[in-house]
Amino acid sequence: MRRDLVIKALSNPLALVGFVIILGILVVATLAPYIAPYDPNAIDVKAILLEPSALHYMGTDGLGRDVFSRMLYGARISLLVGIVAVGIATAIGVVLGALAGYYRGWIDVVIMRMVDVMLSIPTFFLILAVIAFLTPSIWNIMIVIGLTSWMGVTRLVRAEFLSLREREFVMASQTLGAKDRRLIFKHLLPNSLTPIIVSSVLGVASAVLIESGLSFLGLGVQAPQASWGNILTDGKEYIQFAWWLSLFPGLAILITVLGYNLLGEGLRDALDPRSANKNK
Amino acid sequence: MIRYLLKRLFWMIPMLIGISLISFFIMHLAPGDITTTEAGFNPKASEESRQKLRELYHLDEPVIVQYGLWLERMGKLDFGASFASHQRPVFWETKDDQGNVTKGLIQEALPITLLINVLSLGLIIAIALPLGVVSSLTQNQLPDRAITLFVFIGFAIPGFWLALLLMYWTGVVHDWLPISGLHSLHYDQLGFFGKIGDSLKHLALPVFISGLSGLAGISLFVRNGMLEVLHQDYITTARAKGLGENTVVYRHALRNALLPLITLLGLAIPGLIGGSVIAESIFAIPGMGKLFYDAVLMRDFPVIMGILTIGSALTLLGNLLADLAYAWADPRVRRGVMS
Repeated sequence: MRRDLVIKALSNPLALVGFVIILGILVVATLAPYIAPYDPNAIDVKAILLEPSALHYMGTDGLGRDVFSRMLYGARISLLVGIVAVGIATAIGVVLGALAGYYRGWIDVVIMRMVDVMLSIPTFFLILAVIAFLTPSIWNIMIVIGLTSWMGVTRLVRAEFLSLREREFVMASQTLGAKDRRLIFKHLLPNSLTPIIVSSVLGVASAVLIESGLSFLGLGVQAPQASWGNILTDGKEYIQFAWWLSLFPGLAILITVLGYNLLGEGLRDALDPRSANKNK
Repeated sequence: MIRYLLKRLFWMIPMLIGISLISFFIMHLAPGDITTTEAGFNPKASEESRQKLRELYHLDEPVIVQYGLWLERMGKLDFGASFASHQRPVFWETKDDQGNVTKGLIQEALPITLLINVLSLGLIIAIALPLGVVSSLTQNQLPDRAITLFVFIGFAIPGFWLALLLMYWTGVVHDWLPISGLHSLHYDQLGFFGKIGDSLKHLALPVFISGLSGLAGISLFVRNGMLEVLHQDYITTARAKGLGENTVVYRHALRNALLPLITLLGLAIPGLIGGSVIAESIFAIPGMGKLFYDAVLMRDFPVIMGILTIGSALTLLGNLLADLAYAWADPRVRRGVMS
């Protein structure tokens, strides 16, 4: 992206709020080992289920672990899973969408039928089924979420390519004898970048939600590794005695997802002239 | 119309084959053989049950033969029996030699999930339509801003977290709603309306939770659809010929803005079915989601494969119905389809 586009995007108030939230999480996650007052996995039997206080900002859990420290490390998981999963999905989606949109014909038909098939399998069932046959771990989660969420990007890139191919500057370049590779990487892909970025940012939001849901169900990030989802599993267990175990991780997920959504929508408004005109 | 229907039905065949390929592929993702402990198969399982699994999926045959047999059984909707100790059939009831009928697991769970999904679709439409319309009519004013905020939070809030909070609030702090199951213990002693009331109380939270993200999505969709339609020439014409604002908004604008909603609802089906896992397992509702979740925890492969296939087939059916409804509702599409 060019610098003026970045400035334009961040002058959109929604995008700016989203950007600040995500930046905050990034900083917290990076600095987790330095900020965390306790070892996130240190069990302390003398400090079980303590209310939030000056010693434990967010209280302690059923094993006496410091919730604040676990939340900080949970931010790392959430960030990592979201970005890697979406990276995988975007890579697959861009390649397949570009192939379908550029070459059309039978390649397009085959790829689009694959998309239709994947879209007709209830996503959460698909993810859970794969995890049932593998073992739940953070790496498997990222791969599975990535492999089950590339369909939207594929459709998007294909549509962009189909419409860009008919544009004069692409035709002109083709007439001048540009090779496929040059057309794709020099003209089509750079001009499809905005919608790809917007959909990736929104994709991170849903990946974060899926990861936390899986971890909550006990099929995602496994204890003792902390994730916001599996802190909430404890929250459910102790819901009658320890509100802090439910409140903080849920809020963290809410704010994170909100941040990615605001950033994504804001970028769309700022960078895509069509949608900006429509909504204003 | 008939020709369109036949064409659409014909298209479902390659889709079903694709789905069978994917589910077959997933089964073979497991390292080694699904009967080994590496695949999380219960290490205490006897050699006999391992053998049963091998026989069920013909694991001793070459892969291509395995797939052929799997396809054949799918065609007959035969998904075998659960590995759980009750060994009930996965899909539909069976009769043994003495004429005892054993109900199928999906047969019992499916109506519950469908009921919840139909109710949450109803809730979504009842709330999201007015929200979307109000939002579009007050664009960038206070009501629109408030509704947009609600939409963003609705998208971002983790359903299972809200479920926990609501359980705590309505079930633990106050004693307003039951927090788990489908019926109260004294359900059988209740009269007809008592039974309905009892079920509705149990379903209130699960229905709300499964409808939540749809609620946000559809509100936004209706708002944007309305905004687009309201700027069309025929709306200006309607206003110019002196029609009342209500007629313009509800007869001319809303009806056109709603058309794409039919397709959207069709596309929402896999999300609703998949989303039932979280709502049902939190509230202990014995539907497809809970059945699936329990099957995943127990590595009950026949149930997993059965639900995956049936869930996908239902999605295809839902999309087909949505397309037919669209063709029925929009004369332009209908004509295009017929020719």
